[in-house]
Amino acid sequence: MAFLINCPNCGHRNPYEFTFGGERKQAPGQDADMKAWCEYLFFYENMPAFQDEWWFHTMGCGDWIKIRRNIATHEIVEE
Amino acid sequence: MATTEKLLKFKQPEKSYDVIIVGGGLHGLATAYYLARHHQVKRIAVLERRYIGFGGSGRNTEMVRSNKRAHETLPFYKESLAMWDGLSAELEWNLMVQKKGIIALAHSDPELAAMRMMSDSQRRAGIKIDMLSPEEIKKMVPSLDTSDRPALPVVGAQYHPEGGTVHHDAALWGYAKACGRLGVDICVGVEVTGIMIENGRATGVETSVGAISAGKVHAAVGGYSSEIGRMIGMKFPVQTIPMQVMTTEVMKPFLDYYVASPRLHFYTQQTLKGDLILGGPLDAFQSWNSYTTWEESADRAFKIVEYFPDLAHVRVVRSWSGLCDCTGDSAPVMGGCGIEGLSLDIAWGYYGFKSTPASGKYSAEYIATDRMPEKIKPFALDRFYNRQPVREIIL
Repeated sequence: MAFLINCPNCGHRNPYEFTFGGERKQAPGQDADMKAWCEYLFFYENMPAFQDEWWFHTMGCGDWIKIRRNIATHEIVEE
Repeated sequence: MATTEKLLKFKQPEKSYDVIIVGGGLHGLATAYYLARHHQVKRIAVLERRYIGFGGSGRNTEMVRSNKRAHETLPFYKESLAMWDGLSAELEWNLMVQKKGIIALAHSDPELAAMRMMSDSQRRAGIKIDMLSPEEIKKMVPSLDTSDRPALPVVGAQYHPEGGTVHHDAALWGYAKACGRLGVDICVGVEVTGIMIENGRATGVETSVGAISAGKVHAAVGGYSSEIGRMIGMKFPVQTIPMQVMTTEVMKPFLDYYVASPRLHFYTQQTLKGDLILGGPLDAFQSWNSYTTWEESADRAFKIVEYFPDLAHVRVVRSWSGLCDCTGDSAPVMGGCGIEGLSLDIAWGYYGFKSTPASGKYSAEYIATDRMPEKIKPFALDRFYNRQPVREIIL
């Protein structure tokens, strides 16, 4: 399963150094209805395929980074 | 007298059914059983793409309990826990139900205070809960280190005497066998690839062996629930996260209770066979891959040795992981999803095993009557749109 996350500041690091920030979602606009905001808050794509994610390098540089990872195979593509 | 007949024959699906259940795990089989038994539904099929019990049903830690917090959901968990008692006789299959009691350790005074508050809501729901002092814990679990040595010493515990363990494979085969006896078709190796919807109504499923029409479709797919969402063009409020478990070599019986630490996220029990099952927190990130990692195993080993120092040289023999589809409010999603004839029993996260009998019973009631039973009303999908999530604060 092993995979490494390429942090732009620290290089390739063990994923357990990071805090998982979840799927990167598109926030609805200010005038969006409540249903759209509820979907944004609670609902996830969650498919066994590539998804855009946030990760926070807790035990490293302390930056939020963006990666694109396949959550079924853990393959990461550089953006 | 011993029988030479097969306990259960797997079938090839026919072209049409009254109810199709997607997912041949504990929840799917239990739902099929209660539909056939209590609601006299004749033509039921359970479709499973791998083998029955492949997912969470075969990968859990066998714990049954009802020590949750949210008052609206406690009657449901209480009923589920009570249902295990009579199930061996009902299914004519020994499920090895062993209500040995669960000890949840507290490591600080604020945590103990929170536990007392939780115990009060559980007592109000009629669940037996006691608080224990370190001396009492030491008497019950002599091998536990209740001294000041650990960094987070044990300062008390909550004792849930009705909690315990049930053998998961026995439960699975008990339900499967009972389903077979009642004429339910259990079809393994049949993958559902789509759900047929006409005029807002589910009319059947597309599978790897062709289309099958059905009056009602029920999804009990465990960690793989978002795939059902994709088929009907919906997103579900779940993230799939693996949970890793490991087990040690077999030892003489020394641990009579299920010991857990909600704060440190570890729990352990000695099975009837004699091995220790070591569970821990959910993995640190979302994944659909049932891997095990050194980091998580080391974490479990460290915590168990911290509180059971005698286990320092015990070997770990196996580890595995299962996929949990978790909602933000630690409560499942049951009932309808806006499409007539399609019902859900998903998002069970890491508390699906203990809820099997009650979720099967009420899913069956919902499918048969089209009315949401009172006890599962808090689990409706609508709660996320109405901004009324279940107020669950613990794991």
